[in-house]
Amino acid sequence: MYDLLWLIPALPFVGFLILTLAARSLSQRVAAVIACGTVGVSAVLTLGMIAGFLWNPPADYAHTVTLWQWMPLNSLEIAFNLRIDALSLVMASVITVVGFLIHLYSSEYMQGDEAYTRFFAYLNLFVGFMLILVMADNFALLLLGWEGVGLCSYLLIGFWYQKPENGFAARKAFVVTRIGDVSLLVAVFLIFSELGTLQLSEVLALAPDRWAEGSTTAWVVSLLLLGGAVGKSAQLPLQTWLPDAMAGPTPVSALIHAATMVTAGVYLIARMHGIFELSPSAMTVVALVGTVTLLTAGCAALVQSDIKRVLAYSTISQLGYMFLALGVGAWAGALFHFMTHAWFKALLFLAAGSVIAALHHEQNIHRMGGLRKRLPVLFWTFVAGAACLAALPLVTSGFYSKEKILWDVWISPLGGPWFWSAAILGALITALYSTRLIMLVFFGEAKTEVSHRPGKRSSFVLIVLAVWSLIGGGIEVPHNFGHLTLLSNFLETAIPASVELPPGLDLQLWILLLVASAIVTGGVLATVWLYGSGSPLRQKISDRTSGLQRFWLGGWGFDTAYDRLLVQPIVWLSQINRRDGVDGLCRVAVSLGRTGHFLLSTTQQGRLRRYAIGISAGALALLILMLLQ
Amino acid sequence: MNPADLQALLPILIVAGGALLVMLVLSFKRSQTLSSLLTLLSLAAALASIPMAMSADADRIAPLLVIDSFGFFYQGLMLILTMVVTIFAHSYLEKFRMERGEFYILLLLSLVGAIALAQASHFVSLFLGIELLSVSLYIMVGYIFTRAKAIEAAVKYLFLAAVTSAFLLFGMALIYARLGSMDFITIAHLLREHPLDDPYLLAGSVLMFVGIGFKLSVVPFHQWTPDIYQGAPAPVTGYLATVSKIAVMAVTLRFFYSMDLHQQPGIAAALTLIAAASMLVGNLLALFQDNVKRLLAYSSIAHIGYILVAFIAGGERGPEAVTFYLSIYSLALLAAFGVIAYLSPSDRDSDTIDHYRGLFWSRPWIAVAFSIALFSLIGLPLTAGFMGKLFLVSAGIQAEEWLLVIWLAANSAIGLYYYLRIVIAMYQTSDDPQSEDSTAPPFALIIGTVIGLLVLSIVWFGLHPESLNLWIRALSTQP
Amino acid sequence: MNAAIEYWPFGVYVGAVVVVIAGKLLASHFLGERHRERVTGEAYESGILPTGTGRLRFSIKFFLIAILFVIFDLELVFIFAWAVAIHELGWPGFWGLMVFMGILTVGLIYEWRMGSLDWIPRRPANKRSRPSTLSSKPEPTR
Repeated sequence: MYDLLWLIPALPFVGFLILTLAARSLSQRVAAVIACGTVGVSAVLTLGMIAGFLWNPPADYAHTVTLWQWMPLNSLEIAFNLRIDALSLVMASVITVVGFLIHLYSSEYMQGDEAYTRFFAYLNLFVGFMLILVMADNFALLLLGWEGVGLCSYLLIGFWYQKPENGFAARKAFVVTRIGDVSLLVAVFLIFSELGTLQLSEVLALAPDRWAEGSTTAWVVSLLLLGGAVGKSAQLPLQTWLPDAMAGPTPVSALIHAATMVTAGVYLIARMHGIFELSPSAMTVVALVGTVTLLTAGCAALVQSDIKRVLAYSTISQLGYMFLALGVGAWAGALFHFMTHAWFKALLFLAAGSVIAALHHEQNIHRMGGLRKRLPVLFWTFVAGAACLAALPLVTSGFYSKEKILWDVWISPLGGPWFWSAAILGALITALYSTRLIMLVFFGEAKTEVSHRPGKRSSFVLIVLAVWSLIGGGIEVPHNFGHLTLLSNFLETAIPASVELPPGLDLQLWILLLVASAIVTGGVLATVWLYGSGSPLRQKISDRTSGLQRFWLGGWGFDTAYDRLLVQPIVWLSQINRRDGVDGLCRVAVSLGRTGHFLLSTTQQGRLRRYAIGISAGALALLILMLLQ
Repeated sequence: MNPADLQALLPILIVAGGALLVMLVLSFKRSQTLSSLLTLLSLAAALASIPMAMSADADRIAPLLVIDSFGFFYQGLMLILTMVVTIFAHSYLEKFRMERGEFYILLLLSLVGAIALAQASHFVSLFLGIELLSVSLYIMVGYIFTRAKAIEAAVKYLFLAAVTSAFLLFGMALIYARLGSMDFITIAHLLREHPLDDPYLLAGSVLMFVGIGFKLSVVPFHQWTPDIYQGAPAPVTGYLATVSKIAVMAVTLRFFYSMDLHQQPGIAAALTLIAAASMLVGNLLALFQDNVKRLLAYSSIAHIGYILVAFIAGGERGPEAVTFYLSIYSLALLAAFGVIAYLSPSDRDSDTIDHYRGLFWSRPWIAVAFSIALFSLIGLPLTAGFMGKLFLVSAGIQAEEWLLVIWLAANSAIGLYYYLRIVIAMYQTSDDPQSEDSTAPPFALIIGTVIGLLVLSIVWFGLHPESLNLWIRALSTQP
Repeated sequence: MNAAIEYWPFGVYVGAVVVVIAGKLLASHFLGERHRERVTGEAYESGILPTGTGRLRFSIKFFLIAILFVIFDLELVFIFAWAVAIHELGWPGFWGLMVFMGILTVGLIYEWRMGSLDWIPRRPANKRSRPSTLSSKPEPTR
């Protein structure tokens, strides 16, 4: 059964190949069937693997399949080997299942688009690379997946390339994540030069032996890995690409820029936990990055007026939670939140996509409103998603996952009350902006005509995701009520379990739980009151665009700052430095090549006797060379 | 000549018999399809006979040929490539109203020479093999005799090959004069006692290398290459560029390695010079070339230069890398010539870059296949060409030929430019679709499938080079 | 460098060849008359004015017959050689020669069927084969 492992990433690639090569002869229907079918079968296989793992786990709870040796060089052996363990299975299951649902949704959503097949080809390619990324057992393959998903992200953000803005957004995403990629690459080189292997399992096994706890090398490697993760996962300070990435089609935002690709950073850190654990200070940096990101992005989400940008900032913020969890060593917590987030954020994006499609491609939430009655399915599913995002107590999966993170942050030696307070503040902000979104989009008076209603497939996908988001949290229930730890138990086989739970903390747990619930519920209610009752305060907020609001609207001015601090100086430098030495060198090389070509061309005149002379002269020259030695 | 010897000679005998059979059948029934089918059949039979030949209890057909797995690998490779050429030629010649059946006789005859070269271990068999290979090739190059260019190419090739054969013979004569033997093994044996700086031997080996270098088209014996590549019909060019070079390279490997000539300082220096010059000259000449066939000709000069790096490096990895690269390079090159043959109308080969402008938009499959073949020639990762270059470089590094390796890398960068020019042209949009009347549907399907298989194998060996390398590593030579 | 000393006569010989040939060419270059008249370029036919072109067309058949003769006559060389050593070679030699004869027979059959042995073609002259045009001065190509 595990021998079929290679099929999981291979199938989407097959789909991609068919869709690309036979693009013209395929009808839209067949293309959709191929795209959904390949990912669907991958999903079934992945779930089958999970079932196999649960009933009959392989030795060491991991199974490695070496497909073949790619490059046998002297000391470097790069193999195509895939490894599944609990961690990669959790990732792969989310990628394939959510990926399948989003494919299904897209098959309806993208109808009528000229480049229907191209869209699915890219989407399939993405799923394939993402699966390679999470199932790779060596860094070379991981990098292949890592770069591959970056490429797909670029292609899909700029999917409607006829509009130049989309192209710019795609380029921005590519360049900014590139910074992180370089960092990751350096980390990989460093790991190889220090440990002499690229095999993930060997790296993890060797690292504690070679590097003492708190050693500088471990610290540097961890920070470089973090750099890669920060770029891919849009964390501070490389978060600026994600809001712009919303230029892509909405299913893309749901799949790539919410559910899967942006969590590659989380996966990377979780996978490399052994190295991070060697450097507590690096862990703290991870936690700090997460905390600052979740707060700043949350604030930015509060004031956005574009529905997709709200969701984009909230994604950054939720990823911040995952980083915070990673930073305090709550590996399982981060993965749990990754799972629930993938569901509800995909749901929110897809629902938002349907809203946008229903309103003549209107994305401004201030011009929406009153959709509750007119689009009931969208309303209820959106509310379900937003409730999960806000972590409404008890009924939503977001509550359980966020609560687990909060609790782990509180008790972890690396966390503590400060991180906890920041996180709870973040939770409040999340509650505020999620409710604001609902209120503005679905309540109030209608401002735009509804032109298009979601079809059967879209509604089906939305409902499935909504139900899932609501009940999915049940696989991991806090200690004090229920104490269900299915996910942690499963993950424990691959990564260290959550933070040790000291005994006798039940009371604390209850208090914290209640505080968090109260704050979230309070935030939700306050916003409902604020927006529901045309209160004067609301008028004040929306009429007066304060400086702070504008500042947050622009995402804390990061774009402007980068533009001033980095882009403009570099452009300026390159302009004044147009004819520098390096450039001159290139010119010399070019003109040398050109001259050489034309000089040599004169020997190729097509005259037989010259050729004969050439051969004889060459023979003579060689003879002289040899005899004179 | 006992039964075991005959068994070991099966591939050669079958191919030679195939030539006779085609000739005999042609006397009674003129049908191109029948001739080419018989050709394919005899090639397949020869290929199938290789395992049987390998199991034969013989290691030498004294004194002319040796029987070893090295020779059989090269024979198999050439047989497969010739099958591909046969299929290309069939579709290609369909477009012409002329006697077409004889082409296959010539093809099979020249292949007899080529596969005999893979086992040659004697000056006589070396010379006979080269001549048998060449004489048929002269006619094949000029086969489309209504084209002035083809005739011109054939005459040039004939003349220059005759000149270099004289060099080759003279070189052999000089070596024979000093050592009194024409047998590789005996010569190798004698050379251990004899100092190689003897002027007769040095001059002899240099003159022999002139003949060999001409066939391999290395600088300074390269000038004929573009004219012949351009003038010959595309399938013949494909054959000339792959099978003929593989055969000569095989015998050169055997000749040089059996007597460690490549390690003699003087010869090594000369080879290094030739390799470096071939890379540079070939790449520079290809740089602004607008004719695809000429471009591939110039680049083939550079590729042989690359191969020489591993050849000079020697050691265990050297010959392996040479063999791997040759196989891979031939697949890609043949795919490229297949595309040219596919797209060529009957009046001339479509060989200028303009013919390929916008190809992707009219024939996406062919354009993609051509791109992959070119990527492999460039040596981009995930294609077999990358692996080939990697093995060349690693062989060079193992022998600490740093300068050559750096030179190779720098020259590959030049190669990127001119290959990508073709690729870019294919993806540009063009208003006037070129070459509508190329290959007719049934043949288009066959030739397209073959090109597809070639390209798939390129990608496959790029992803999984070990599947080929395992075989190559297991090869052994009987000196 | 003792090689160079050992082979000095060879060097002298090479030098002499160069000197003699260059001397002849140079001498005729300097001593020879050079003038450009109306008839200078014409073929010299012992004072008789040439008529028509010097490139006569004659039937390819003559050439073909000559080639065929060479091919089938040369086999005699091998058969003689075999006949001389017939006892030493025994049956393997006999079969070897039979293979050789067989190959020649196939060639003969081919020729016969192709009509190479007919002086007058059975079919009207092959329309397809036009005389090829060999450009005497190839265009310069890059």
